[in-house]
Amino acid sequence: MTVELFFQTVVNATYAASYMALIAVGFVLIFGVMGVVNFAHGELYMAGAYTVVALYAGVGLPFFVAVAAGLVFVGLLGLLMELALFRPLRDNPLGGLIASIGFLLILQTIAVLGFGVRMKNVPPSTQEKLVLMDGAVLTYQRLYVILAAVILLTALWFFLRKSKFGWALRACAQDREAAVLQGMSINQTARLAMFIGAALAGVAGALTAPLVSPTPFMGHSVIVTAFIIIIVGGLGSLEGAVLVAILYAFVHTFVTTLYDGTLANIVGLLLMLGVLIVKPTGLFGAKERA
Amino acid sequence: MPKTDTNTNFLGLLGFALLAVVLIALPHLLSFSQQEILVLLVINVLLVCSYRLLTLTGEWSLAHAVIMGVGAYSSALAAKQLSFPVPLAMLTGAGVAGFLAFLLSFPLFRMKGFYFLIASFAAGEVIRLTWKWSDLTFLFGGPKGIKRIPPFPDFLSIDFYEPVNYYYLCLIVVAISLLILYRIERSRIGLTFHAIHWQDKLAESVGVNTFRYRMLAFVVSAFFAGLAGALYAHYVGAVAPNRFSVEEMVYILIWAIVGGTATFYGPIIGVVTLTILNEVILRSLDVDEMRPMFYGAILIISILFLPNGLESLLPKIKGWFAARKEKRAMTEQLAE
Amino acid sequence: MTKFAMNRRDFLSTTAAVTVMAGVSMPKMSFAADKVVKIGFLAPLTGAVAAWGKPGLDGCKIWADWVNADGGVKIGDDAYKVEFVAYDDEYDPSKARTGAVKLIKEDDVKFIMMLGGDPWPGASPVAEKENMLFSTLLPSDLSPDTELLVAPCEVHPIYNVTGVEWLAENKPELKTAVVCAQDDSLGKPSVATYLAAFEAAGIEVLGDPIFFDPATTDFAPIMSKMLALKPDIICLDTCYADYVHPLTEQAFQQGFKGQMISCTADFYEKMVEKTSKEFMDGFIFQFPDFDDPAMNAEHINFQKPNDFYAEYVKRYGKGEWSAVSWEYASIMDLWANAAGRAGTTEPVKVLEAMKVGGTGKQAFGEAKWWGKELFGIDNALVGQWPVVAIDKDGKARIQDFKSIPAWWDKHKDLLIKHMKALNQMYYQRS
Repeated sequence: MTVELFFQTVVNATYAASYMALIAVGFVLIFGVMGVVNFAHGELYMAGAYTVVALYAGVGLPFFVAVAAGLVFVGLLGLLMELALFRPLRDNPLGGLIASIGFLLILQTIAVLGFGVRMKNVPPSTQEKLVLMDGAVLTYQRLYVILAAVILLTALWFFLRKSKFGWALRACAQDREAAVLQGMSINQTARLAMFIGAALAGVAGALTAPLVSPTPFMGHSVIVTAFIIIIVGGLGSLEGAVLVAILYAFVHTFVTTLYDGTLANIVGLLLMLGVLIVKPTGLFGAKERA
Repeated sequence: MPKTDTNTNFLGLLGFALLAVVLIALPHLLSFSQQEILVLLVINVLLVCSYRLLTLTGEWSLAHAVIMGVGAYSSALAAKQLSFPVPLAMLTGAGVAGFLAFLLSFPLFRMKGFYFLIASFAAGEVIRLTWKWSDLTFLFGGPKGIKRIPPFPDFLSIDFYEPVNYYYLCLIVVAISLLILYRIERSRIGLTFHAIHWQDKLAESVGVNTFRYRMLAFVVSAFFAGLAGALYAHYVGAVAPNRFSVEEMVYILIWAIVGGTATFYGPIIGVVTLTILNEVILRSLDVDEMRPMFYGAILIISILFLPNGLESLLPKIKGWFAARKEKRAMTEQLAE
Repeated sequence: MTKFAMNRRDFLSTTAAVTVMAGVSMPKMSFAADKVVKIGFLAPLTGAVAAWGKPGLDGCKIWADWVNADGGVKIGDDAYKVEFVAYDDEYDPSKARTGAVKLIKEDDVKFIMMLGGDPWPGASPVAEKENMLFSTLLPSDLSPDTELLVAPCEVHPIYNVTGVEWLAENKPELKTAVVCAQDDSLGKPSVATYLAAFEAAGIEVLGDPIFFDPATTDFAPIMSKMLALKPDIICLDTCYADYVHPLTEQAFQQGFKGQMISCTADFYEKMVEKTSKEFMDGFIFQFPDFDDPAMNAEHINFQKPNDFYAEYVKRYGKGEWSAVSWEYASIMDLWANAAGRAGTTEPVKVLEAMKVGGTGKQAFGEAKWWGKELFGIDNALVGQWPVVAIDKDGKARIQDFKSIPAWWDKHKDLLIKHMKALNQMYYQRS
């Protein structure tokens, strides 16, 4: 591996870590607070991308306006899921999973009917790039994703540490029953968690739309990665999700560059199995919640 | 008391006889393409019922579709590469699936609940990626899978290419399998499965080796899933890794949950209803692009309004009939 | 149940038609024109692979409208209106089997077009039992086991040799190449073809071909890996549009300055938008826009290509034109021609007429039935194929039509060698 290739791979991995972290943190937040495996999380990411397809590539709004719209729109989708699906099914975690599969099929079909089965094209909002050295570049389009991940996740961290809401959210994620006993509104926290979790996926989708060519089925590959990350990281742990997203992205990107992509996937899955067998609660998980 | 007993026995027998007649007559009432769907439906009944056996212990696996694939691949390879006769190949396929489940038990049953769910998913994906892996193409055929799998041989000049004949074959195999599954559930072993589900600590404290029973449920469930896979492989004639992907697994989950898993017949109701809905009704509406959306909506509606599955409708209907009967009896009594 | 409903509907409509006609006593000609031949379309219409089926069905609708407006296909003494019956096989062999049975036994179709690939093995026993003629877009489905499957339009991936040959003739200064492809049934044989074509052209391929998982979404690592080898040519093999676009964009952003070659470049205008006209200038691929003036050349058999393109764009939008838009329609040209010559719609007779003399009218010109050495059977129609390059204004232009059989005669050993190495020969496919 040459020096340039090494640095370029580091850049590639940093980008991959960023969008994976955005998706995985939302996924973990929803699981933590609601106790539901949101199978439709990949489709929320897809919905974010299609918001940019419609508003930026279609209507012609400025890119960042479209991204902001994606954040809000997908956040609202999350609220809708909470109200219509997860709240009535609160005592039925498998029911929540099945309902989210139903929701996923609906979102996919809407995308197919509205935009066609083929991939959509989103022109880049800028072609500027940082040339780190000869043979290692970082485009602004990718830099935005990295910056968004850093800013949004830091903001989320402060929000969870400092605000009353954040405190309730963390309490619910750690122990729902105890939180309820302490007089917290489970509905309010659930709404908040769904909005934030979905919005993070939406932002990831919106920002990566120019980089991946959205299709109605793009959510599928994302959800598998998100699974791996939250398992290795530990189910209730947001910090764990971020750290493992970085770890996974670097391992995956380097194995892909040095060997091949299928092997990288197998390595990822074996990593997950290994962690599950040795420490089922994940590397950063606190206690078992079955 | 004994009188009512024979009565219900008699009614039960009558019901079974009626069911048998319906099942035997059924293919002759259907169109050609519906006969094809019927064959696959019977195979899926075995698949979803075998899945239910595992859920008795409280564990939900995401590897069941892949394990069906293990049966399909093993049976196909045994028949094609090792020239086993097809019926023997099918049993081999089921056996390999069961054996693999035995091996997987050791890592997987260190976990339970959600962790088991996810770990079974990962294990299944590793197996599936192995089928796809280019270095093993000579064996598993890579992403294209295995084609030209030998069909079930003619027997007494019965041609098993014909869906009606293959349907009867499947019907016999599946009926025997379901009988075995039913006997297991009703035996002491089945009761222990239930005990592990609801009171695993208690079961352990009275000396039940929960690991062994979980493993047993997993292996038996895998054996019959593998058998379903083998029946599939020798009928369709081709298997490919994508046929056993997580989407297919999702279907199995949906059939089981929409039908309900509390009773033996729940998942059967689920798979039959949803297959008729998806393959016959939605297709005939000519709404191909919108089919997934309807399917999704139906899923959501049924899980919201029938959280215990379609099976929970039956007692309600029964209760309604019983209430009417009682009412009529009462009025008759009053009239006297 | 459906069967009965269908019969009843047919019955009602026929009775209605007969009554109306008897009432107004139409001239006899219309009776003849009212014969209908049904053609099956058995391809994925939903799910991720639908992009390879749905646009083809759209193209067929235009084909049918035009042919029917012209009075239909003349077969024997009658003119037949053509009606397409579609069945979504969801890219699944068991659904393909069910669909084939329905189309043949219930809809009474006379010919079935498939995308091919995974679903074909499910339909293949039905084809044999019912003696039905099938077509596929993927010749890798062909095998000596069945004569009833033909690949009469696209002989993927053999035509890719024409692009490399043209490149070597016109830009002899390019000496090295790297190849990447998704690891699936389209990617593999295509890689073998490009390796053979590069070797035949004296271009060195650096490193092993890079295979990536079809689920890949981030292509930066793959492009970094390719660029590290510092090639003159980057070959994108038969990547789907979902891969070609991000790979090309990455090549642009990571500063590649050399030549790019690919099997397809669907929606290339969007790639120009994402990169630059200078970067895309000279990008070579194999699928022309049908508004290209070169499509009006004498040897083209596709009917009214320019009008077809215009109508397609009018009906479905400019961004929807892709490689498969015209392919199923061009297979229909071939079928209609053969049925006309056979004087019947009987599948086996039509197949005989199609293959008579060992040649046929492929979309891009006279071609011959070929494939014995590669597929074990001469059921692929091979002739000329266009080499397309993007010009400095960002528009794809046909550069030349090159003969595949001519290349094959010279270099077949190379192709067989590379196909064997990747386990792609018909006797290696399990």
